[in-house]
Amino acid sequence: MKELSRAQIRDLMGEVLKNQGKVLPDDDAADLREVGFRSLDFSELALRVEDETGEELNFDAPGLRRIATVGDVLDFLVELQRQ
Amino acid sequence: MSVATAHRAAPHPAGADNRIVVDGTVLTWRDLPELTLAGPAAVLAHSARDALAAARHHAVHGTELLLSTASRVDPAMRDELRDAGFTVIDADADADADADADVAAGTGVAAGVEVAADSADAAAPARPRPADPGRLWLLTSGSTGRPKRVGHTLESLTTVRGHQPSRTWLCPYAPGTYAWWQVVTLSLTQPGQHLVVIEPDQLDDWPALAAAHGVDAASGTPTFWRRALHHDPAALARVPLRQLTLGGEPVDQAILDRLREVFPASRISWIYASSEVGAAIVVHDGRAGFPVDWLDRAAPGRPTLGVRDGELVVTSPYHGAGLDGPVRTGDRVQIVDDRVLITGRLDSDEINVGGSKVSAGLVRDVLTGHPQVAWARVTGRRAPLLGHMVVAEVVPTPADPSPAAGPLPALDEAALVRWCADRLPEYAVPRRIRVLTEIPVKETLKSDV
Repeated sequence: MKELSRAQIRDLMGEVLKNQGKVLPDDDAADLREVGFRSLDFSELALRVEDETGEELNFDAPGLRRIATVGDVLDFLVELQRQ
Repeated sequence: MSVATAHRAAPHPAGADNRIVVDGTVLTWRDLPELTLAGPAAVLAHSARDALAAARHHAVHGTELLLSTASRVDPAMRDELRDAGFTVIDADADADADADADVAAGTGVAAGVEVAADSADAAAPARPRPADPGRLWLLTSGSTGRPKRVGHTLESLTTVRGHQPSRTWLCPYAPGTYAWWQVVTLSLTQPGQHLVVIEPDQLDDWPALAAAHGVDAASGTPTFWRRALHHDPAALARVPLRQLTLGGEPVDQAILDRLREVFPASRISWIYASSEVGAAIVVHDGRAGFPVDWLDRAAPGRPTLGVRDGELVVTSPYHGAGLDGPVRTGDRVQIVDDRVLITGRLDSDEINVGGSKVSAGLVRDVLTGHPQVAWARVTGRRAPLLGHMVVAEVVPTPADPSPAAGPLPALDEAALVRWCADRLPEYAVPRRIRVLTEIPVKETLKSDV
């Protein structure tokens, strides 16, 4: 199974934000609310990861967690690919 | 397969001398091969000629008949038909070869092909029953699951009755569908209504054939017209069309406007029709949807249209057997200003994005309103947090080769997302948009089913 690296997912996240006229900060600690990264953007990013890997992500597998920063998003999606 | 001289007990239909062009050969209805069918018969046609011969047979003899293309009837459906008392008959290529030989030899008028119920190509009914003379059966398009049988008669399928100007009609539809029967009954019952039939492998090149045979009226799905505009708009413009008709799928303003640009002086109509309720809505004003004041307006001999819970409800004199009274069509409608827009199937048109309801049809209309989009399909895709997201596939319009046109900006996903974001609520904007090179089409000439 193809798996995207954290850096590759970061690039995709940047594209999602760019299409919305927003910029992804370099700092992984940046707050998603301040970046303007919302649930629609998160869902789009997940679909982009699925399209790149050709695999459907299983969002039912991991327990819910707090996702508040850019780093949280990246960590979550990296982990999800391994479920 | 044996060849027999035709014996006809009943008179020919009124349109028997109309010209029909099938497989490149010019004939009349009288020249088609004569089939020997014992009802109830399910004829699975492998060619347009077989299908037309079966239709003519029914018009002359009234044999109970279900007509379909062979490809629409899988083994399970064959068994269903046999269980329902039909002899299932494959009208195969041998018949064509025999008939071609007859026509080539100049014996075409009286020669025919016998397709007997007990021939090697026929499967006997599992539960024989008496025939119901005059009954015609249609298979629905299957957009809500497996195709269903809907009973009609030639009378209930013949919805054009008044005097019509002489026309040569293109018939691109799959044999046995409601739309096919509409064109075929017109030619069978009205003198001066000629037919040019195209086979599925001619779908991309039909304008040349149509122009060569003087086609001046054509009926097709929006997908059929979009493909023609996409494939070769110059060839399409050379067809001397005076009447263009769209139906079978939601008709949006963009496709009406594009056809108007190519055919500024022609009548452009759209029709809402189905196997269940017949031809219920005909609109000639060049606008998508129909006037809101047509709702709940009862008139003798005309369908009554209504909206219940966002669904189109039709009470029609042209309904199928057992479907009298109000019929819930399964089609979703939305009232926008003074028009009632049919946006798509209820079970697939509504996409729930995190609790917000999105009409796939309205999003599709926004995409096809982009000057560089020839076709679009909009669906829901499973997504985290929101349940579903709106996604789309599009086919760009061909580049204008004239120097005056100048270069157009590249059509990319980001540009289309911005286009939609300017016209739709945020949750309705498709976030993933794939760009395809060809407009997909199915045998029904639809692409959304």
